[in-house]
Amino acid sequence: MLDQLTSFTNQPLTPGAAGNYVWATIYILLIVAGVSLIIMFMNWAERKALAHMQIRLGPMRVGPHGLLQPIADAVKLLTKEDIIPDGADKLVFWLAPCLIVVTAWTTLIVLPFGPKHAVTDMNIGILFMLGVASLSVLGIVMAGWASNSNYPLLGSLRSSAQMISYEVAMGLAIVSAILMTSLNAGGVGTLSMIGIVQAQAEQGTWFIFKLFPLGLIAFGVFAIAMVAETNRAPFDLPEAESELVAGFHTEYSGFRWSLFMLAEYSAMIAVSGIAVTLWLGGWMRPFASIKGPNIWLGGLWHGPAVDFVSSLLPALSFFFLAIVALIGGIKMPDIKPLQVQRIGLIAFAGALGTIGLVLLIPPIRDAVQPIFWFMLKVGIFMYLYIWYRATFPRYRFDQLMKVGWKVLLPVSLGVLIVTAVVGVLVK
Amino acid sequence: MSLAPLLRKIFFVDLLKGMRVTFKYQNPKEICTEQYPLERPVIAERYRGLHRLNSDPDTGNTLCIACDLCALACPEKLIAVASVRDEVTKKKKMTTWSVDLSRCMFCGLCEDACPTDALEMSQDYEFALYSRDGFVLNREQLEKGSEPTVYQR
Repeated sequence: MLDQLTSFTNQPLTPGAAGNYVWATIYILLIVAGVSLIIMFMNWAERKALAHMQIRLGPMRVGPHGLLQPIADAVKLLTKEDIIPDGADKLVFWLAPCLIVVTAWTTLIVLPFGPKHAVTDMNIGILFMLGVASLSVLGIVMAGWASNSNYPLLGSLRSSAQMISYEVAMGLAIVSAILMTSLNAGGVGTLSMIGIVQAQAEQGTWFIFKLFPLGLIAFGVFAIAMVAETNRAPFDLPEAESELVAGFHTEYSGFRWSLFMLAEYSAMIAVSGIAVTLWLGGWMRPFASIKGPNIWLGGLWHGPAVDFVSSLLPALSFFFLAIVALIGGIKMPDIKPLQVQRIGLIAFAGALGTIGLVLLIPPIRDAVQPIFWFMLKVGIFMYLYIWYRATFPRYRFDQLMKVGWKVLLPVSLGVLIVTAVVGVLVK
Repeated sequence: MSLAPLLRKIFFVDLLKGMRVTFKYQNPKEICTEQYPLERPVIAERYRGLHRLNSDPDTGNTLCIACDLCALACPEKLIAVASVRDEVTKKKKMTTWSVDLSRCMFCGLCEDACPTDALEMSQDYEFALYSRDGFVLNREQLEKGSEPTVYQR
């Protein structure tokens, strides 16, 4: 038993692929807990960044700079009355949020956070992800239908039309990236998420720069389609506040509503994870093939210089956050009611600094490296989502369909054909 | 479609311009939200807020000569002034002075009519109440001015 537990850590496989169920369970728990935590923080970050882009302050009252706002929100949502409308179809009404959350979280099991950090490595990883992710539209349609109300029904109709039409362009863009994995000596491609990143490592380039500009165009199509897939602004027609109250989750409240939000944000993370894995080199650091000269720093480091700098970045980024929090604490106005918040913020800075110090310990430093880069890339996508939402007005429904069918679909189809032809010619 | 607009569309120039604007606004210096109870706005001198009855700073006596001009000037007849004739000086002496704020539109005509600067519209703006009873302000309240609750948390 103990042997089985420890032997896994020396294997180069993911726990699912190695058949180690204990470690697979641990990974599942870690991912579910981590994603929920990130979503809670993301909720705060979105409100804050959105507010700053609109020249507002955002949450300021609960904790220093509103840092404890997610906890207050969670308590409020969980203690709220859970209403089921009178005319609703009770069973389907209950099932819809469960289905959406299950699909959103299931997609995360093949997402590779590192060379061996995924729950499992399927040989059809990307297909599995797309298949499960597109089930979420069923949950939305069920929610809209079961609510027995006008706005949810309209919202779910829009959502089904939108998600199905954007899935086509998205799928074609993904196929052109998968084609690129076969541009190696053997001419054999892969659908495994880990295999795709390894293919990028072998070919020495991220697929966004491969066969320039084909990879970039495919990535662009995917980047637009993924915003539409996750029902986010400017494609948030299914939940358009100004037209449909709240779209398909108008009749939901309390915990069920928070499940919808949870699913929306974890779908955002999953789709960004696909984009990062397919085009942006997954867990690899930028310029992974450039190693620099070998340096020798006593017992600290013996190896390429660029690797050494990049291994320090996770700790440095935490130190940066700690310094930002510290400056925020010191610059807080000198009023008596704010003293508690000041102490809290400085303690938070201390905690961030301690995490940074822990990340400097050599074994942890090396283990955290791929996870850090993956999270950083996904984080940039999350920021982009917020940025889009603050900038772009919502599309009209016919414009949305026009962009999907008349622009994105032909472009992705063209890119696919050109990639196939050029791929054959290059070889 | 001519070439330039087409290229602008393909490379998302307009969208990028918009994103540049929102990105710039993230600078914390741009924020114009004011955390109201903690920090208070600067009110302009000419703002017409709550009425105030001024006293002579040297003697402490009221400046009001009970001429009743403010009551006459009020378009809504909200001001009531009562006075008695002082036996010694033979001057009118104001005893009560009240204004009904519930219908006051803060036009400032009473302030303009006052010949002695006794009546003035101050810069106080915090006089919301839980019931209508408190809207008729008497002389003591008007001489003291409004006392806003100080925000602690």
